Amino acid sequence: MSLWLDKYRPTSLGKLDYHKDQAAQLKNLVQCGDFPHLLVYGPSGAGKKTRIMCLLRELYGAGVEKLRIEHQTIVAPSKKKIEINTIASNYHLEVNASDAGNQDRVVIQELIKTVAQSQQIQSSTQREFKVVLLTEVDRLTKDAQHALRRTMEKYMATCRLILCSNSTSRVIGPIRSRCLSIRVPLPSTEEVCSVLTAVCKKEGLLLPPELAKQISEKSGRNLRKALLMCEACRVQQYPFSVEQDVPETDWEVYLRETANAIVSQQSPQRLLEVRARLYELLTHCIPPDIIMKGLVTELLNNCDGHLKTEVAHMAAYYEHRLQMGSKAIYHLEAFIAKFMAVYKKFMEDGLDAMMF
Amino acid sequence: MNRPPSVEKVASRKVTHWVNPSFTDLSSASFSLPRRRKGSQTSSCTIKPKRKRKGEASSSDPHVSRLLKDSPQRDQDEPWVDRYLPRSQVELAVHKKKIEEVENWMKVQTISSKGGILLLTGPSGCGKTATVQVLSWELGFSIQEWINPTNLEVYSSSQKNECRVNGLSSSSQLAQFQEFLLRANKYNCLRMAGDEGAAHRKLILVEDLPNQLYRQPDSLHDNLRRFVKTSRCPLVFIMSDNLPGDSPSRCLFPKEIQEELDISSISFNPVAPTSMMKILTRISHLEARKSCGRICVPDQVLETLCSGSSGDIRSAINSLQFSSLPDISLEKKACTIKDRLVTSKPNQRKRSTQTKDHEEEKAIGGKDASLFLFRALGKILHCKRGNHEAGELSQRAIRPSLSSHLSHHHRDVLLLDPELVVERSHMSGEFFNLYLHQNYLDFFSEMEDVDRASEYLSDADLLTANWTCRSSMGDYASSVATRGLLHSNSQQVSVGFRPLHKPSWLLISKKYRENCQAAQSLFRNFCVTPVSLQTELLPYFAKLTNPMRNETQVAFIQDVGQMSLSRFSRFRLEALTDKERGQLETNIEEEKEEDLESLSASQPPPVTNQVLLEVEDLIIEEYTSD
Repeated sequence: MSLWLDKYRPTSLGKLDYHKDQAAQLKNLVQCGDFPHLLVYGPSGAGKKTRIMCLLRELYGAGVEKLRIEHQTIVAPSKKKIEINTIASNYHLEVNASDAGNQDRVVIQELIKTVAQSQQIQSSTQREFKVVLLTEVDRLTKDAQHALRRTMEKYMATCRLILCSNSTSRVIGPIRSRCLSIRVPLPSTEEVCSVLTAVCKKEGLLLPPELAKQISEKSGRNLRKALLMCEACRVQQYPFSVEQDVPETDWEVYLRETANAIVSQQSPQRLLEVRARLYELLTHCIPPDIIMKGLVTELLNNCDGHLKTEVAHMAAYYEHRLQMGSKAIYHLEAFIAKFMAVYKKFMEDGLDAMMF
Repeated sequence: MNRPPSVEKVASRKVTHWVNPSFTDLSSASFSLPRRRKGSQTSSCTIKPKRKRKGEASSSDPHVSRLLKDSPQRDQDEPWVDRYLPRSQVELAVHKKKIEEVENWMKVQTISSKGGILLLTGPSGCGKTATVQVLSWELGFSIQEWINPTNLEVYSSSQKNECRVNGLSSSSQLAQFQEFLLRANKYNCLRMAGDEGAAHRKLILVEDLPNQLYRQPDSLHDNLRRFVKTSRCPLVFIMSDNLPGDSPSRCLFPKEIQEELDISSISFNPVAPTSMMKILTRISHLEARKSCGRICVPDQVLETLCSGSSGDIRSAINSLQFSSLPDISLEKKACTIKDRLVTSKPNQRKRSTQTKDHEEEKAIGGKDASLFLFRALGKILHCKRGNHEAGELSQRAIRPSLSSHLSHHHRDVLLLDPELVVERSHMSGEFFNLYLHQNYLDFFSEMEDVDRASEYLSDADLLTANWTCRSSMGDYASSVATRGLLHSNSQQVSVGFRPLHKPSWLLISKKYRENCQAAQSLFRNFCVTPVSLQTELLPYFAKLTNPMRNETQVAFIQDVGQMSLSRFSRFRLEALTDKERGQLETNIEEEKEEDLESLSASQPPPVTNQVLLEVEDLIIEEYTSD
């Protein structure tokens, strides 16, 4: 039994549930025979990867679904060994080069070179190019992106790149201009609801439309999250009831409690407690930038009008430092300390105003 | 007094090494000098007792005085450290309790037929060797000491054969050491006629170990195990650990080995200032009597020497000898001493020169003082500032006070130099900042202050973020952090004692990375990006019942995916003890390795350059090949 997520993932362009126009366009693209490099971007959980896999199937047929996970070792020029996992079929290679940290340039160059240098065996019956799928392109270092630019042109004859990223803002201009950009927006709430209902129907379950709506709202239209939530609801209680509360992840609840702790009291001791909670979150694999983002969202809910802009400004300031710096805790804590100071002052001022 | 023969041999050899070359050189060179000076040299040789006086009298002519000093008088030029080697327990500068401990151990050894192992540790120059020598003399042990052989030939198998042909045996230091232990243990010295049979018991002393053993402590342990089985005479290891943080004794003699082999360990402290002072005055008095009052070192010089040597009696005596050489009149140094001889009564002038003198003395014989981490942190966090009124007065005298709109930035004068504190803690600034960050919140009361302090810490981290300039920016970062903390703590309250803790960040970030990696490798077949795996998939896995997963996955999900919502943290803070030394170096390095395989401050800069060069080379090559 696999996750609903994987079980009911559409496998061909025709079966996609939403953005059907785009799917049709992609189909046309494939039928033309050749296509440029692609840059597929959109928020997490919008279905980029699903769409890409459908495209590949359209290109190469069912053989593309025979995946194997390979563990590759690449020796960097500095004699350092880089280990990286790739997912490959006979026709394509998927790699997340940012796993290699700052050695991603080497990974990109070496992997694409090896893929591109081997020709397809029967070029008459098959496509004459292979596809390299690079995920999380926006997390690549600038160095790697520039290397990619060069490699893209060089191996155009034998290899197509499909780049997948969350946003284009961190992809350098030369790459953006060399690729056909395809944006995959989030599905609308109704679309999420219809997908959920369809999946439940296939599972033989009855999903009340109210609950579907609730799930899709709570998931922030992230379809992956919505499906996981739905499955968690099923585990929690079946038959579904309308007033059933949708399970959230533990870390989100924990983060909300942390935010409440910050708002309820502002003192060095409280900051110390909050620090311990931050450490707890970090050891549960929650990346610092996600913590920051979640914290800001929760804190903003507790702020009044003009304080909101100030808090957002502070958050942006420290988020930037978080990216630049090396030890995340300094910046997270500095942000919280700043918020505490500002919030305390705000409350005291408010109290004074009430008195007079 | 009579000393054991072996020790004497060692000492005399050391002396010749130390003194000989320069003197023979100079005396041979002096033959080519003009006649007048040559004459003066010969005269100095014949009239020995007048040497000192002459030297001082003719101090205006540096060359003459140099030559005078170089006259071949071994006993005069013998280092004072050797001349005033302690001969009895009373003369030792070591605390009585410590002497007693070592003595007790040795007494036990005289009774038992089996030999034990003793490990003496402590900073250099705290009298470890002297204690062993004095006690073994008193208790009738003869000392057999291991000294690393200095054969320069490279040991190899081919050479070994060759050597055998020549009738010489050449073997590695390690093998020699092994053999030394075996033989020294098994065989007694040949009894010579003049020995009087006093030293019938033997004590093996090992002060410098073959270098190879530092790399492979295991072979030392094996040797020791073998030794313990057949031991007949006591074995004493003396290891000096200088700086906090680097102690070879810890890796050579780990706790397990100490327990297994029943090694008793005694650690010495630096020599206390009072006993040091006692020794120094005794030596200076003796010298003064010897030279008929010519060499007279005032007490203040002794005191500065005492404080400058930070408990190292050897360097203190050396610098005492150095600073009381009357012949060193080339510089104004001797003049100041003479000056002081003239104005030896306590008056105003002396006070004023004292500070200058202090610096000077430090430049000669002083060691770098080091601070224990606990104290260094305390100095920054407790933030000692000058007295309110006194500070105000002096400040008003020196410079105008801050204008009114900046008055909230006014602070009293600092009583310490933050950079010096960090330097003396012998830690990288980055690491020191982590310690500060872990502990600073306890010392703040106002939220605004915390806000500013945390901002300074964040600034400091930003300064060292880029690994290419981390080594040069590290000092600035620690400066920003320490001074920032000191400044932002405006409402300094005397908090009394607060326990300090070790930074948990290193542990946390290590765990974060490990967990992330584990997650990616365990759930590879789900083909999702790491972020969505960690924030979406894993937490929901914890809520689903999915029998497909294997046990490690299930365990991992339970550990990482679920969070207990209780308030208690899993991490207990590790308290920093009083004399804790800056360790955790391994952790630091691991961390560094991850972020950019960058080069931590602890690694030498040449390596940085090398790696950089390699990378750059490659770039060039690739672009040309395209």
